[in-house]
Amino acid sequence: MSFYRKIGLPLITGLFLIGAWYGFVLWTNAPSWKFPLLHEVLMAGYRERTVLFEGALETLSGAFFGFSSAVGLGFCFSVMMAASVSFRRAFYPYVLALQMIPVIVLAPVCVLYFGTSVLSVTAIAFLISFFPIVANTTQGLISTDQNLVDLFKMCNASRIQEVALLRVPYALPHFLTGMRISATLAPIGAIAGEFYAGSAGGAGGLGFLAIVYNARSQVAELYATGFIACFCGFIFVSVVLVLNWWLLHKWHDSIERKDL
Amino acid sequence: MERRSSFVSLKNIGKRYGQGPWVLDDLSCEIDQGEFVSLIGPSGCGKSTLLKLIASLSPPSKGEIEIEGSPSEMAREHMAFIFQEATLLPWLNVWRNIEVPLRLKGLPQEERNQVSQKLLKLIRLEHVREHYPRQLSGGMKMRVSLARALALSPHILLMDEPFGALDEMTRNHLNEELLALREVEGWTAFFVTHSVAEAVFLSSRVLILGVGVAGVHEDIAINLPYPRSAETRESEQYQLLVREVSRKLRAVESL
Ligand SMILES: Nc1ncnc2c1ncn2[C@@H]1O[C@H](COP(=O)(O)OP(=O)(O)O)[C@@H](O)[C@H]1O
Ligand SMILES: [Mg+2]
Repeated sequence: MSFYRKIGLPLITGLFLIGAWYGFVLWTNAPSWKFPLLHEVLMAGYRERTVLFEGALETLSGAFFGFSSAVGLGFCFSVMMAASVSFRRAFYPYVLALQMIPVIVLAPVCVLYFGTSVLSVTAIAFLISFFPIVANTTQGLISTDQNLVDLFKMCNASRIQEVALLRVPYALPHFLTGMRISATLAPIGAIAGEFYAGSAGGAGGLGFLAIVYNARSQVAELYATGFIACFCGFIFVSVVLVLNWWLLHKWHDSIERKDL
Repeated sequence: MERRSSFVSLKNIGKRYGQGPWVLDDLSCEIDQGEFVSLIGPSGCGKSTLLKLIASLSPPSKGEIEIEGSPSEMAREHMAFIFQEATLLPWLNVWRNIEVPLRLKGLPQEERNQVSQKLLKLIRLEHVREHYPRQLSGGMKMRVSLARALALSPHILLMDEPFGALDEMTRNHLNEELLALREVEGWTAFFVTHSVAEAVFLSSRVLILGVGVAGVHEDIAINLPYPRSAETRESEQYQLLVREVSRKLRAVESL
């Protein structure tokens, strides 16, 4: 039953969608360059494997450096906001507002300042990851249960102890939520960045490949690029989910206990 | 345990939050060392507020609070607070939760282990020492919270409806355990509750507060001998006292 639910059901959905696609294309005689069939997409992907692989690596590294520096700096920034009320008053509204900046504005601006290089792709991935992490972590740090704060006060805890031993662990689930949001955004941000930055001085990431395939009307290759991009995003999110499980499974209610 | 000449002295204290109404006003009271004082009264009459003032978690707007002869903020390290929820740190197991106050005080691991081991035994939870709070029942969590409060051997224990969320049977058990611990540790207690029966069972003195009533409305001595046990609840004297306190509580509620 649980095998059927967990693996069987999504498999059936997938097969049904593929079947519907094949049925639609073959039935209506739609032009095959415009509506590539799954096996054509797979073949295109195989043909272009070197280019796609290098592109994926380039995108992943841009997204990874942007994302991990956002995690590190975002965490520090949040702790500073939790430690100082005036610092928070000064910056928190901007963090909330800057979360809303669309990538299509962010990307060209970064390219303008950092040039068409890996640096601007990283900067875009950074900026797009930074704000969700800061917004969520700060929320967790400042919403720490007042009774727990009072408990620490009763023990004459120092400000540093309060932050390190109470507020930071309390905010950990929020921090991980922020990371999960950023992990989906970072590869998308990197790809959008490459879309603007072009080949970024190297082989060109997935975003650049998308432009090229689109310009050459290689739709099957474009689809293959899309699949690879999904896969890259999936890697990012999986890593965060594993981290989330590893850090929280013992104590946090968001992770169900299997006691049946 | 040696007698300490500790006592709590509340001198004409008043409290208002910001420009709000006076929650407490002109309240004076002397509490001797070793007393078990219950605070009872209608919701919103300032029971929790009074505990916070004594704990110096919040400053009084007027008046003075002296504990063992010094201002209350000086005495904080001799006080422990127990909240209505167990307020355990969910990311620490039972054992680590109990030693939180010791860790904050910077005691070495060895000493921490010793104390937490002793306390685990006292609350009879050695078998769940590695469990996380979410794996415990409400009563167990409360016992851990109690053990944590006792970790630094406080002179004064402040409890804000600690057993309010528990079923009656668990609550009665914990009441008996609390008194048994008190026999050993000898702290002075302030205990907020909704339950007259619980207040009478535990206390040497019951203070009734009212909403918008200045000072302590009623100050009732509970002259039942300690140690008290489940049988105490059946004694006629206990039941008379419960009736008396209930009547006085109703009177202040209808003001
Ligand atoms: N932090 C606070 N800020 C403002 N008003 C408060 C605060 N805490 C309590 N009050 C007010 O003080 C009054 C007494 O509250 P409290 O001491 O919690 O009563 P009790 O514990 O007896 O139910 C209530 O009217 C409540 O609204
Ligand atoms: Mg209260």
